[in-house]
Amino acid sequence: MRRRSAVLTTAAALTGALALAGCSDSGSKSGSGSGSAKAELSVSGPYIPQPVSADMAAGFLTITNKGGAKDQLTSVSSEAAGQVTMHSTMGGSMQEETSFAIPAHGQLVFKSGGNHLMFEKLKRKPKQGQTVTVKLTFAKSGPLTVEMPVKSATYNPSTGH
Amino acid sequence: MRKKTFAAATLLAAATLTLSACGSGTDDKSPVSVVSEESDSGKAATVLDQPFEKPDLVLTDTHGKKYDLRKETKGHPTLVYFGYTHCPDICPTTMSNIAVAKKALPKAEQNDLRVVFVTTDPGRDTPAGLGKWLKGIDPQFIGLTGDFATIQAGARSVGISVEPTKKDKDGKLVSVHGTQVIAFSPKTDSGYVLYGEDATVDDYTKDLPKLMKGANP
Repeated sequence: MRRRSAVLTTAAALTGALALAGCSDSGSKSGSGSGSAKAELSVSGPYIPQPVSADMAAGFLTITNKGGAKDQLTSVSSEAAGQVTMHSTMGGSMQEETSFAIPAHGQLVFKSGGNHLMFEKLKRKPKQGQTVTVKLTFAKSGPLTVEMPVKSATYNPSTGH
Repeated sequence: MRKKTFAAATLLAAATLTLSACGSGTDDKSPVSVVSEESDSGKAATVLDQPFEKPDLVLTDTHGKKYDLRKETKGHPTLVYFGYTHCPDICPTTMSNIAVAKKALPKAEQNDLRVVFVTTDPGRDTPAGLGKWLKGIDPQFIGLTGDFATIQAGARSVGISVEPTKKDKDGKLVSVHGTQVIAFSPKTDSGYVLYGEDATVDDYTKDLPKLMKGANP
């Protein structure tokens, strides 16, 4: 009897997770009432390559969701910049996005050549060794504050230099 | 009714695909390109079986002077990239990677090398603006601007597709950069090696001494 209920619960949880992963579009219909599953977000590998000028800089990081529910990154802001926008890249063209999905048990990756954060109208040019404080806002989870280190203009996270 | 269900299923499938495409980020590095590239060769460089002729581009340099690409770079090892300065990610990274790698060359070779950045956004990249931006990367780099149609035709002649700057739905200007750097040989003046946007400082540092001689990396 005990055994049976455990199996049933697992099956139900799996179905839930699959359904969530399968359609992480807007999240407007589920709200916070989708069972006990919640997004558990953490940020890793944040960095800003030292930009050419204060006009514009890129930022990269990975958001990992250990939870069983999807979430969405809805905005990024920083005291250091007049504006921070989120972009996807296709070929040589970038497109501004209003939000990015973070799948349950998944990752949202911003990396050079792909998705990136774009800082515009910076108060001053970020220099290698400094950090830039950035606030990430999500559809459901509470905001996260990230200290993004400024690396060299040619920094490559896979080699670490 | 049946039809509708199918449409919805297709939409859902499309949404799922889109999500997985932008979510993983580990295996989506192959740029859309009109030039076939060897993949998984472990090398950043692609040596072309059929080298490109150097584009016949006569544009304006960062001092506002006429610059004839073929004439000015004849007999010099030359790297050409098509990009724009209002570009946060790939354009400055590509130019910075080359700038750092160039510093490892002997001084005479540094002076011999021509690195040419051709803007794909001439409306915003004035000679002076381009000059200021490149000075922040390497003062020896050459920046060219001019008529977009001329630039686009030049890019196309070496297999690089760029589009004019246009406004997105929010009225913001969006430009397009090339996804490759082309290396031209000092011996033949033809473009014989391509580098994708994932080429690193180490790749360029390793290959530049060979490119200086027109040898295969």
